[in-house]
Amino acid sequence: MSLDTSPASPGSSDMLKLPRLIGLVAALLLVSPALVSPARAADPPVKLIIKPLLCVIDKGATDCVVTFDIRWKSAQPGEYCLNDSVQATPLRCWPSALNGDMKHERTFSEDFRFWLGAPAGGERVSEVKIEVLRVGSDDRRRERRSRHVWDVL
Amino acid sequence: MKIQLKIAAFWAVAALAQVPAQAQEATASGSSQQPDNAPVVLPEEKRWRIGAALGYGLRSNPLIQSDDIPIAIDLDLAWFGDRWFFDNGDLGVELIDNSAFTTNLVARLNSDRAFFSKTNTKYVTFSVMPGGMTGALFNPVTGEPVPTEDAPPQPLKPPERDYAIELGFETLFSGEWGQATLRAFHDVSGTHHGYEISADYSYRIARGRFSLSPLLGVSWKSAELSDYYWGVHPEEASFTLRQYDAKAGLGWEVGVSANYYLTKSMRLALSANYEELQHSVAMSPLVEDDHVTGYFAGLAWQF
Repeated sequence: MSLDTSPASPGSSDMLKLPRLIGLVAALLLVSPALVSPARAADPPVKLIIKPLLCVIDKGATDCVVTFDIRWKSAQPGEYCLNDSVQATPLRCWPSALNGDMKHERTFSEDFRFWLGAPAGGERVSEVKIEVLRVGSDDRRRERRSRHVWDVL
Repeated sequence: MKIQLKIAAFWAVAALAQVPAQAQEATASGSSQQPDNAPVVLPEEKRWRIGAALGYGLRSNPLIQSDDIPIAIDLDLAWFGDRWFFDNGDLGVELIDNSAFTTNLVARLNSDRAFFSKTNTKYVTFSVMPGGMTGALFNPVTGEPVPTEDAPPQPLKPPERDYAIELGFETLFSGEWGQATLRAFHDVSGTHHGYEISADYSYRIARGRFSLSPLLGVSWKSAELSDYYWGVHPEEASFTLRQYDAKAGLGWEVGVSANYYLTKSMRLALSANYEELQHSVAMSPLVEDDHVTGYFAGLAWQF
């Protein structure tokens, strides 16, 4: 078995092509999202904005009690209803509106979702996940602090 | 050795004393049916805890001729079974768990060895003495100082040290007042033959997504442990290092850590601490700083 190092050999030619090929693949990967789904580049037709998105439950507490600031806006007027994954009926519906806002107080202990959709249900035109994070533990072992030099947190 | 046996006996007796009490509690709670006062059932916690923090931090190194320890990533790997657990290098088994405290038997690696990993050699024309003082080169055989003009520069390098596996008890307390830990560990690897007793207290202040935890701690290290790592043993004495026996002593530390939760799995993390070395260790010719500082700031993920 011999190693051919001449510039015209097929093996050497393949080697020269390899960086170009890698560059081409990288470029395709970069531009592919725009090619495959051009709609992503534009703003969504309906945007739902809710604050806060996260509730932190400290050790000893069982529930989050949060007043949500809920806003939405649409590029086209329409009838939208605000729903959540906890109850079957909409929280509120807006007839033929371009935007809407409301305050909503809720007590909860698990993740759930708000979404905007048509009054009859079906497609969710915009969706937001509300997360619950429990910090601290009743298992004291999980709260133990290491005294190792390499642990800094 | 007698003190170690007494400590072990104390924990063993405390463990046995708790068994009947725990059995009674279990029976009482099992037989009572009070739906109105029933505790809220929280979601079961995952057995594994896997996390990583990326950022910038530094742990200072008090050892002479050594580099500080940079920290760019801090990994968190732990597993908690019903009784057994692994927590970032510590292997433990829960012996007692009740409303007031939890006692574990834990095997761990001694941390002092970590300071001896990043050492270097320097050629000098002086010797290092206790308390950070320097003097003329010193002949360890004759015990006489060597005139500088008679000797070329001599190597100054910290001696090598081994990791020690330590076995001990820890008791964790927690309540509305905060958290406290008592620990007593003894070398079971035949490395330093010593022991360490420590205590710390911390209190977490939480406001929404933000939490702040100040901490205070003290640690007593035996003469065997202190001297193994921080003494200059007779066979290690050289023209540049004078022999030194480190004694037992008490050190202390303060620290604070802060977290701001961005999402359920990501948070901004900040931590800083200061440890004052016990006096006899701080006076060692091997030690150039009487304290260790550490800090880290970064983004932490919990997977």
